[in-house]
Amino acid sequence: MRLFWSFARQSFQSRAMYRFDFWMEIISVFFSIYAVYWIWNTLFAQSPGSFEISLAQMTTYAVLGMAMETIFLPWIGPQVYISEQMKHGLLEMDLMKPVDFQFHLFARNAGETFFRFFLLFIPTLLVSAYFFDFKLPATFLDGAYFLVSVFFAYMILFGLNFLMGMISIVTINIESISWAYQGVLRFLSGQVVPLWMFPASIAGVLAVLPFQSIYYVPISLYIGELQGVDAVRAIAIQAVWVVVLMGLGRFVWSRIYSKMMVQGG
Amino acid sequence: MDTLRIYLKLIRISMKARMQYRADFIVGILAIIFINAISIGSISVVVTRFVDLNGWNVWEMVFLYNLYLLGHSIFSLLFWHFTSMESYIIKGTFDQFLVRPLSPLVQLLGREIQYLGFGDVIVAVTGLALAYHKLNLHWDVWQFGYLFLIVISAAMIETAIFWLFACISFWTGRSQSTFWVIWELSTMVQQYPIDLFGKWFRVLVTGIIPVAFMNFYPAIYLLGKTDQYPHYTWILFAAPFVALVLLGLASTVWRFAINRYMSSGN
Repeated sequence: MRLFWSFARQSFQSRAMYRFDFWMEIISVFFSIYAVYWIWNTLFAQSPGSFEISLAQMTTYAVLGMAMETIFLPWIGPQVYISEQMKHGLLEMDLMKPVDFQFHLFARNAGETFFRFFLLFIPTLLVSAYFFDFKLPATFLDGAYFLVSVFFAYMILFGLNFLMGMISIVTINIESISWAYQGVLRFLSGQVVPLWMFPASIAGVLAVLPFQSIYYVPISLYIGELQGVDAVRAIAIQAVWVVVLMGLGRFVWSRIYSKMMVQGG
Repeated sequence: MDTLRIYLKLIRISMKARMQYRADFIVGILAIIFINAISIGSISVVVTRFVDLNGWNVWEMVFLYNLYLLGHSIFSLLFWHFTSMESYIIKGTFDQFLVRPLSPLVQLLGREIQYLGFGDVIVAVTGLALAYHKLNLHWDVWQFGYLFLIVISAAMIETAIFWLFACISFWTGRSQSTFWVIWELSTMVQQYPIDLFGKWFRVLVTGIIPVAFMNFYPAIYLLGKTDQYPHYTWILFAAPFVALVLLGLASTVWRFAINRYMSSGN
């Protein structure tokens, strides 16, 4: 645990952002929130019946989806770190550390995510509560479910990102694969369009993929769309995905590790 | 002419460097097609469900999206490297450009052809053709000519905007993150009719960062939606002028910035 904190703190400090970048990021998050806010409001004015939930729930869903991107940002994941190290032939430095590789990357990433949670995510929600009808959860339980679920969502995302990182060890360059990966994340996770709005056939496929556990599940818990047994079940499925993806990551890594030759070693 | 020859040579070299990762090249093009398909798909899911969005039906929005994308593809093929300006300033490598007897602009842009732009072209042309067919449009020769002019203007507008913002790094050392904001703005303009977002947003993307001229205003004319927007007249045809003015502005600022540029070293 002490090791975890020291890695986390280190990346926390090294990533303390440039102030200019920080403000630019805040501005772009608010543009994206502003956009989804107006889209849903316009659609609701056109046909209030088609939503299946209230306007307040819908805008809260949309705001939260955009705000969560500040902590789930694809550019800070472990896959970016791995592919940078690969490109510069520095991965051997990480192998020399007497620490489990996956754990090391997790600690690094957790530090940065922690930082972004307090400096970007929370302030974004506070401002949105004032300007964009962002509501607190209806009950204490919904809020508690959300927090647990967000944590699992983070672990699932980490697991997927780590696997992306494994791909980059094989292919060295993952820039374009990660573009596709982000497209998948953004649209199949329910970040922008809630899954119940998709045609039934697509929604059925999405239900068996891990992506919906990243955005759709936590946000639906937050707005109270998933309740009771459904809520517990959704969180349990998340937990299963965490175990599966982290395990798969370890397995793939151990295979790669045993075969790896570091160039110029 | 010499400049052009050197530029083409630089481009060839950077293409070669890029081809080192051949698998990534092909996957990249496929990825771009895939991302755009997903993004058009999810707009369609919503708009189909609600029949239209603010008076724009699905295929009109597909047209809007791809009109933007076609202009953008030219920008992204040839001028994408403006987004890397910051790193030359921070590392002080911009000085290399200044000591060589060739325009720094050509040296900068010669560094990269963003090949993903080919994917954009494929998507955009397909999308526009489909929309044209589905919307039962019948343009005369002049309207096709206008489409061509708009695509060129759109590319010039986007280039000029990125050029201007790249210049910021001469003063602040940073410009990368300003592109996130422009990116977010452009995505909104690309995907949705801008009057959806209220008056102030329209002022912003018309008068300050004029990306709306890349698709929204021309599309109103090309799609014959002038009934829906009776109060817009000359602005539907202003895109080429906006492009020229912006390019003039950007090249002036660029020259001014280079003249008083102090390197980050020493």
